[in-house]
Amino acid sequence: MASAPSIVSSLNPATSSDDVKRAELSEIDASTKWPALFLLASAVGWLLIGTVFALISSFKMHSPDFLGNYEWLTFGRARTAHLNAVVYGWSVNASFAVAFWLMARLSRSVLRHAGLLIVAAVFWNIGVTLGIYGILAGDSTSVEWLEMPTYATPLLFLAYALVGAWAVITFRFGKSPHIYVSQWYILAALFWFPWLYSVAEIMIIFAPARGTVQALVNWWFAHNVLGLWFTPIGLAAIYYFLPKVLGKPIHSYYLSVLGFWSLAIFYNWAGVHHLIGGPVPAWVQSAGIVASFMMIVPVIVTAINHHMTMVGSFGALKYSPTLRFIVFGAVSYTLASLQGSSMAIRSWAEVTHFTHYTVGHSHLGLYAFFTMVMFGSIYYIMPRILLKEWPSATLISLHFWTTAIGVIVYVVDLSIGGVIQGLLLNTPVLAHKLGLPQQHGTDPVPFLVTVKETMIYLQVRSYSGILMTVGHVAFAINFVWMVVRSAQSSKTEPTLFRTPREMEVTAQ
Amino acid sequence: MNRAPLIFLGIFFALALSWVGIVLTNQIGYGSLQPVYDEDEGKAYPLQTPGLAARGKLVYEDLGCIYCHTQQVRRAGYGSDYERGWSGRDALSGSVARDYIRESRVLLGTMRTGPDLRNIGARQPDSTWQYLHLYDPQITSPGSNMPPFKFLFETRKIVGQPSPKAIQSKLPAKYQPPAGYEIVPNERGENLVAYMMSLKDTYAYPETKNVYVEPTPEAGKEEKK
Amino acid sequence: MSDEPIKPNPQIEQAAASDESIQKVHAILLREKPEPKEGYTPMPLFVLGFVTVMIFICTLYFVHNRGGFSPMVQDERYDPAAAAGTTEVAKVDPVAQGKRLYQTCAACHQPNGTGVPAVYPALAGSEWVTGSEERLVNIMLHGLAGPLKVEGKDFNGNMPAFGPGGGYNWSDEKLAYVMTYIRQEWGNKAGEITPAKVKEIREKAARAKPWSAGELEAIK
Repeated sequence: MASAPSIVSSLNPATSSDDVKRAELSEIDASTKWPALFLLASAVGWLLIGTVFALISSFKMHSPDFLGNYEWLTFGRARTAHLNAVVYGWSVNASFAVAFWLMARLSRSVLRHAGLLIVAAVFWNIGVTLGIYGILAGDSTSVEWLEMPTYATPLLFLAYALVGAWAVITFRFGKSPHIYVSQWYILAALFWFPWLYSVAEIMIIFAPARGTVQALVNWWFAHNVLGLWFTPIGLAAIYYFLPKVLGKPIHSYYLSVLGFWSLAIFYNWAGVHHLIGGPVPAWVQSAGIVASFMMIVPVIVTAINHHMTMVGSFGALKYSPTLRFIVFGAVSYTLASLQGSSMAIRSWAEVTHFTHYTVGHSHLGLYAFFTMVMFGSIYYIMPRILLKEWPSATLISLHFWTTAIGVIVYVVDLSIGGVIQGLLLNTPVLAHKLGLPQQHGTDPVPFLVTVKETMIYLQVRSYSGILMTVGHVAFAINFVWMVVRSAQSSKTEPTLFRTPREMEVTAQ
Repeated sequence: MNRAPLIFLGIFFALALSWVGIVLTNQIGYGSLQPVYDEDEGKAYPLQTPGLAARGKLVYEDLGCIYCHTQQVRRAGYGSDYERGWSGRDALSGSVARDYIRESRVLLGTMRTGPDLRNIGARQPDSTWQYLHLYDPQITSPGSNMPPFKFLFETRKIVGQPSPKAIQSKLPAKYQPPAGYEIVPNERGENLVAYMMSLKDTYAYPETKNVYVEPTPEAGKEEKK
Repeated sequence: MSDEPIKPNPQIEQAAASDESIQKVHAILLREKPEPKEGYTPMPLFVLGFVTVMIFICTLYFVHNRGGFSPMVQDERYDPAAAAGTTEVAKVDPVAQGKRLYQTCAACHQPNGTGVPAVYPALAGSEWVTGSEERLVNIMLHGLAGPLKVEGKDFNGNMPAFGPGGGYNWSDEKLAYVMTYIRQEWGNKAGEITPAKVKEIREKAARAKPWSAGELEAIK
């Protein structure tokens, strides 16, 4: 792996400095190869496992007798296993890989002693495996986003400490004088996460706070995993790959700065919006609502930044898989966040709280934004660490279309279903407030009617899930094929959707 | 590189602000809320969860009931929780923080695929209904999407006297066990139902009056806003 | 030294491998665009204006919905300072309250008061409901067990006590409201029962076990 001197020194001394930089990048890529590959392979494995649990849970919601006799697969456990597999298995493994690959490249710092990072990744995966096994066995803590039992969580903490330390060391010993925007986001995420996780584990699991203070800590933590870990990693990836693939600079450094700091200040107060109307003080609910609403600022600012960077180059979407996934993710980020800000408004929360609408929203964020961005990142990173191209453009195309259409159907379906559910659950009060006719007199709609009316939406959600599963399988096949097949030295073009003329020539 | 310390400070204070505001301030503000002693009844509310019910709460947790059921009632006028009779007491406030102070694990929940359960013990006094519903929700609630929990019961040979806890006499024909067998809840099933029966917030603490009531222009108008 | 064959340098040999791999590496490297940079387009002024307006709106909202900053206030519309001055008690509609309370009874007696044949008696048209106030109040306070005839039909069940003994411990007001409700619903036409009446009967007969039909028939 320490091929440090060889490539650069093998270059003709007359090589341009640009090419020297590229050679340096290839050394950096090579140093990240094994940890990145291990983490990404684990991530893809967890994606498949998480998808299986997703399908099981989704089927159970409209066909409750499906696998109904197996206690270890009861909905409450299968759904939890799904969440933990896709969050701590797929999403975090992918985050680690993308985060330190980006950090190494942007800091222009070779990753040293990468073998220890593999050890960290192994610990992390053992922890997640133990945790999910525990959930299925009935040891779940029943605290949302912290369900893994206490015999698994210390392993996660240890693994995280190693990965975090490594990324910071890589940054510290980097040669780059300028700290690029992606690096701010990654450093911030790495710092924020352990603080969130420790406070949550201590104040809810190990030394529980009294009463609903636990709930405040719980949702401060869980929402900040989304806002202060996954969002920064996703944005860091977009801020890197968008200009990188296009060969254009990010539109405005000043917008990046405003976007970063407004996210840092507002996002972490927003978590209380999960408790609107709940047994917590009114002022902290209002603070959460205000923060959720102020999130419009970083979201709009980032959207402008990304959009203005893309303007004039939308044609590249025809060719580049990375770009397609990244742009889909970036647009979804804007939509998910604006939707989230709207959901925090008390009168809209009155309708959508506790309904399937929230589930649609969460998948818009973690899947349509974060997961799609990770897919795009992986499509870019793998050829550079394996020095091989993706075997099949058809599989990439299948992957993109099934997951994109799948998640759009998913979100639209559950949003409609959730609103219907919420309106029915909250008649007659809502009907009175909205000036709607009281279809059921002044009595509340019987609960079973709300269940019946949402069944069709739950079924459509299962179909969209099957579509997304096809995409994941296509991705996994392509991934494994790429890893196992021998390097074909004849192939030097990237695997793209189409072959444009300008991509054949060297970069301008 | 020299901007790094500044960035670090900013990142630190950003999270510190919300940690202080959301977590610390509220821990200080109501983190040591005490039960209220009612002299007329000679009890301190909220009541301690009785032994079997406490074990039943663990069953509730391990089966993941929170993913379909909430345990937080919203105030009158915000959603229809109040109209559905989900509140166990005669106050407009819905669930208050003090209702949860005895709980080492607070199970507020976030989804209402099923109804709110905070006061199910007050709303559903019949434990037989609970057993039938758990055995197969279709029995008591046709069309429900709650999964069956037959593994909280056991079918066993009747030895000597039939058990008073047996439920097969109340089950429809298609669930009947073979002759000479009875269906009884196992220990987890009994504990879970004991927990459900214990779920009631009936005491009206002083803070349950902290609800905005629109001033009525004349007497005779409805109380709830 | 000069006529010794040049020993291959293992570092260079193993890493560089062959011309082909360098060719390939170069191809991947060369087609990559340069590392991303930031542009320095100035921030549009409307963004700053937008941020200012947002901060203004949100501050107003927060101040208006802070519930006095009190940890004991969950209703954002409630202002503890303002409420401290008033002692107004809103007027209650017994039938509406009773209807809400009836949701508990509906589990057995059904939402439309028809009961379940042979299991739970109907309340609609029941002489026990529309008849003697004292009998009804006693049933609610202490429960009713054993054989019972309602509108000519036989029942043999167990109505729990809603007074102090049975775990419900409903107040005089709650008992009065729900009885008032059932006495005027589903075709029943009987008068209101006041909380005062419930209190009077509660103080008269303290008992620990449910009534039987026979004992109740003795009461007028």
